[in-house]
Amino acid sequence: MKDREIIVENLVKSYPSKVKAVDGINFRVDEGKIFGFLGPNGAGKSTTIKILTTLAFPSSGHATVGGFDVVSQATEVRRVAGVALQDVGIDPLMKSMELLVLQGRLFGASKSAATARAKELLELVQLSDSVNRRAGTFSGGMRRRLDLAMALVHQPKVLFLDEPTTGLDPVSRRDVWREVRRLNRELGITIFLTTQYLEEADELADTVAIIVAGKIAAEGSPAKLKAAMGEESINLVFDTPELAEKGRSTLEQTGDRVQLDRETVRLYLSKAAGSIPTVVNQLQNAGLAPVSLTLTQPTLDDVFLQVTGQRLVAADAAQSKSSRSNRRVEVN
Amino acid sequence: MNTKTLDISAPHPAENKTLSLPVHIYLLVMRSLTSLLRTPEALLPPVAISIFFLVIYQSTLGKAASFIPGIGGSYLGFILPLSIVSGSLSGSGIAAQNLVRDIERGYFDKLLLTPVRRAALLLAPILAGAVILGIQAAIVVIVGLILGLKPATGFLGLLAVIGLGVLLGVGFAGFTVSAALGSGSAAATQGASFLFFPLTFLAPTFVPLALLSGWLEVAAKLNPITYVLEAMRTLLNTGWDANAIGTSILACLALAVAMYVLAAFALSVRTRRT
Repeated sequence: MKDREIIVENLVKSYPSKVKAVDGINFRVDEGKIFGFLGPNGAGKSTTIKILTTLAFPSSGHATVGGFDVVSQATEVRRVAGVALQDVGIDPLMKSMELLVLQGRLFGASKSAATARAKELLELVQLSDSVNRRAGTFSGGMRRRLDLAMALVHQPKVLFLDEPTTGLDPVSRRDVWREVRRLNRELGITIFLTTQYLEEADELADTVAIIVAGKIAAEGSPAKLKAAMGEESINLVFDTPELAEKGRSTLEQTGDRVQLDRETVRLYLSKAAGSIPTVVNQLQNAGLAPVSLTLTQPTLDDVFLQVTGQRLVAADAAQSKSSRSNRRVEVN
Repeated sequence: MNTKTLDISAPHPAENKTLSLPVHIYLLVMRSLTSLLRTPEALLPPVAISIFFLVIYQSTLGKAASFIPGIGGSYLGFILPLSIVSGSLSGSGIAAQNLVRDIERGYFDKLLLTPVRRAALLLAPILAGAVILGIQAAIVVIVGLILGLKPATGFLGLLAVIGLGVLLGVGFAGFTVSAALGSGSAAATQGASFLFFPLTFLAPTFVPLALLSGWLEVAAKLNPITYVLEAMRTLLNTGWDANAIGTSILACLALAVAMYVLAAFALSVRTRRT
């Protein structure tokens, strides 16, 4: 029995309204890995985390965290799992130190041990200067950090982070990423994180699962998922959609497939860089001159589009990749 | 973020150890009290209203009270229990408000994620509320003394009056806590505490029980507040009456048991993990 594993088998959660929030999912998170659970709002991410952290029962199926069953061994699961839910759960009238000491004591630590641990954690999340401030006066980023510290009080072996960076500014987001990576690398904590951000999953996760409408649509390492997409692409921008259409028909036989999106032609092929001379020659022969030519590696965004047929609309303007195209894409 | 390293190999601070229920209750009561005392603006109105009514009743009815037979002592000793009881009712919502705030802010879930004993989650806010009720009742009693109250049973009698007020409030708190757990909403919880308000008047509120008749007498006899008022009045105006005190304690306990069955049910529904 490995004490840092998460195993999920045929997990189903249905609500009285007959809605299946989670519909028969299976996955496994190996010891010391970071698992990214990716999906749009309402896809079943939070429900899954609630089941795995003992806040909700599954309707059917089976799951273990650190070798303990989430239904029959809930107390043991609570001891090995640290949890930071999407809505930061802190009493704003309490001071950060008080909250951490109480949390530690509820996990069974003595007063002195809980106090020592609290000091250590406040230093870790860089809140040592705010020990005697009420949590209600904290900024969003500080509250997240305090919440993370509370999740770490009992030295969990598995850490659940539900959308840890939603609503954070890009700088705070990078801080959280660095911290997550460090907890994983230095302490060997297995991390299960849900996110709406492709970039986040790409950046952090060893394995990514894409959940759509309660079902897992794709799973694998980011590299593998992207590789499955096939290829890199050469992107050509023309002056007008008409010229782009000519470009598309010219290059139809060159790549594995060609996409036309207004003035842009995307040519997917396995060795894009090496094919540039050929592409340029063909265009010249056809009398076409693109305004720009760029090379793109496949992104998780592409994977997402492929498996779900829709773009993941991120609530964040910093997500340049997803804002790239909400326009209609014509797949050839 | 800095790069301080935590030693994961250090002994687990909580290795297979769950503290006993009294320790969990103590920890959570202290936390509730800390939190409650940081919002004194929520605690003062119930006391202020109790004192207001005490002064108003005493000033308007105090002199006319000699026309009412069966008061058996001073009018102040007759009416002060009403003031304490109404404070117990409005104060019984404190525990529930505290709980519903935790639920709304997600802190309740945070506590559910620890190995804390579930009974402590129910009892702690109620006991913290009881401490507040005791302080409120003591303040009302002190105001009574300033107004000239001469308790027939002395200092111990005053403690008994405060104790009965707390006991009654704790019973009613079981109901408001059920509402908090059941609804998870502050507004619904607030509404639940108003439900008791009429009960104060289905009792020998302004005249002794012997003067009530008809449906009001029946209602008063079924109302636990009646027995609490009677016991408090004997303590303040006539002397120790084991029968009256015993009956009032039984009435409070009966109320508390009924309400706590309800609260335990509401807690199990909230933590059923559906």
